[in-house]
Amino acid sequence: MRKSSGLTQNLRRQETIAGYLFLLPSLVFFLTFVVYPMFMCIYTSFFDSNMGKDAVDTFIGLGNYKELFQDKVFLGALRNTVLIVVVAVPTVCAFSLWVASAITDMKPWLTSAFRVIFYLPVVTGSVAVTVVWKWMYNNYYGIFNYLLKGMGVIDKNINWLGDARYALWCIIIILFTTSVGQPIVLYVSALGNVDTSLVEAAEVDGATQMQVFWKIKWAQIMPTTLYILVITTINSFQCFALIQLLTSGGPNHSTDTVMYYIYYTAFKLYRYGYGNAMGVVLMIIIALLSAVQFKLGQAQD
Amino acid sequence: MKKLLALVLVLCMVFALGMSAGVYADDVSITLWTYPIGGWGNSEIVDQLIAAFEAENPGIKVSVEYLAYADGDDKVNTAIEGKAAPDLIMEGPERLVANWGAKGYMVDLADLWDDTDKAEILPVVQAACFNKEGASYEYPLCMTAHCMAINLNRFQAVGADKLVDLDAHTWTTDQFIEAVGLLAAENPNVAAVFCGGQGGDQGTRALINNLYSGTFTDADHTKYTADSEENIKALELLAGLEGVNFDPAIVGGDEINLFRQGILDMAFCWNIGAQLNTDNNDAGLTNDGDQIVCMAFPSDDGVPELCGGIWGFGIFDNGNAAKIEAAKTFIKFMADSPATAEAVKASTYFAVRDSADGFDLTKIYDGNDIMSEYTKLMPFLGDYYQVVPGWAEARTAWWNMLQQVGSGADVTTAVAEFCTTANAAAAK
Repeated sequence: MRKSSGLTQNLRRQETIAGYLFLLPSLVFFLTFVVYPMFMCIYTSFFDSNMGKDAVDTFIGLGNYKELFQDKVFLGALRNTVLIVVVAVPTVCAFSLWVASAITDMKPWLTSAFRVIFYLPVVTGSVAVTVVWKWMYNNYYGIFNYLLKGMGVIDKNINWLGDARYALWCIIIILFTTSVGQPIVLYVSALGNVDTSLVEAAEVDGATQMQVFWKIKWAQIMPTTLYILVITTINSFQCFALIQLLTSGGPNHSTDTVMYYIYYTAFKLYRYGYGNAMGVVLMIIIALLSAVQFKLGQAQD
Repeated sequence: MKKLLALVLVLCMVFALGMSAGVYADDVSITLWTYPIGGWGNSEIVDQLIAAFEAENPGIKVSVEYLAYADGDDKVNTAIEGKAAPDLIMEGPERLVANWGAKGYMVDLADLWDDTDKAEILPVVQAACFNKEGASYEYPLCMTAHCMAINLNRFQAVGADKLVDLDAHTWTTDQFIEAVGLLAAENPNVAAVFCGGQGGDQGTRALINNLYSGTFTDADHTKYTADSEENIKALELLAGLEGVNFDPAIVGGDEINLFRQGILDMAFCWNIGAQLNTDNNDAGLTNDGDQIVCMAFPSDDGVPELCGGIWGFGIFDNGNAAKIEAAKTFIKFMADSPATAEAVKASTYFAVRDSADGFDLTKIYDGNDIMSEYTKLMPFLGDYYQVVPGWAEARTAWWNMLQQVGSGADVTTAVAEFCTTANAAAAK
């Protein structure tokens, strides 16, 4: 009896060790490429750290953080980033849910076709997508100006990406089109996993389609919604490639985002400490927002 | 028996491997990163130059990586911080001397400059390749004068061709203003002051500095002087000139494309490389076949000062003496030997010296009419001020300033802000 118990313990220990060994590569990767850079980012943010072979990092405490909140460009970038998040996250979620609801009950091949169509911008390289959008927005020969002039909506070309009134909205539109693909696929999958017996029971009890959706389906796809909200929020906060490829933050810093300003500060101005301080602030904001979203999601559950 | 045979085979292989390792034990491999300086951005052309070098220097292997101006600086900076900088880099003094050299990453190449070199290489180029302490972080290969271009057919159509000296390639500020007025009556997009980034910004700087003889820096290259009355007057002129649009959505490369497509009548970002371009039509023609004429920037006194482009090689100090020595051998081969003619021709620019190692470089473009015509602009080469400290930050501040002016901000305030930012960077 005792011998058998010893064997079981041995087996468990071996399984535990094997489990940790399987985890090890991912853990090493996570520590090396996520935890260590994060630590370095926080550490360097307390230094006046610049590029230069003989440059010495000087400890300045919270100096970079104090400067941040007096930096008009950073505050403008933060405002733009928040605007992107506030506009993009709800619209992406709502649109994805609407599309997924519409296509999920279609014939399987049609559902798949729509999923492919909406997912295409996600798998297409961001540079290629951006080049096409840049062409469409072009002041001189872009298709938007051509169509709007043809329809008599405008009489003079609009410099979409060169006019501070429109540039950020143009970026948000592109971000929207490249962000909806994944949520649509996730929602289609989540809606497909909704317990049909509950839906049928509700229908038998005389529930309307809206009631079925909000009382049955919405509750069951809540984890997916939460995931989509968090991921879309993080992606919107980290909007960078579109800005770099389309506007470089211009005109007049009207499309600066925090991520782009971090890049600009670190790679153009070589102020690594200051850039890292921005990174830390961004990390705190994203972490807080994600926590709030999780809490709200759990409360709804 | 089989085991014995296998053992013998393995021993043979190990021995052969050891032999081959012994043969190449003294080989040095170096890396060259090059920006797209004419044909130096084309692997087919560069491969031939490298093959010629390796044939003459069998102990040195060169691998090349091609950078783009859009993200080349970022790649190099990342490599420097990651202790993976290339051994050799090809670009201009604004990067090699004023940026990476000033930050202590480059090898001093002063020992490469012998008395013959100093006698052969143009003084303005020499000055740009040395810092104030006498260290040289660049050994130059080629150069050009950046200019602008006009669509001659469009000029002729509105009678503006009479306003330009097509033989000397010069015109005055008043003639420029009149020409823009004539062209704007037919085309609302005569020209664009592009300011979407730093690409091609030498064009906007030269345009503004020339219109009323302003300067970008002081003569000693210690501070930025773009806030002078002359520059403010020039900016105010451009901001109010019908047909000239400040465009924050494009950079120099985009402007060139728009000019080639016939959308713009003038291009402020131009040089001999652009004039020789045959991507969409014969050299010197727009996509529609209109004739392109290179022009100096208009100036109030009719004597332009063009912004120079100088390109050459620098060596990153990676702490490996053998690689540094091999890199120096490479530089001497490309920029000071009978092979220099081919290296210069590959760039499609002009040599920085009359001869290299006794080989005459003044006739390498004989028979090429476009190059011969372009040489008329070379005497207008002005001060090479791009080596002023804080250059990288000043460049970004420049296009931000132009965006402000384009959106209607007060010119004096915008230019003063630019100079404050740039001079603060210079003082660091």
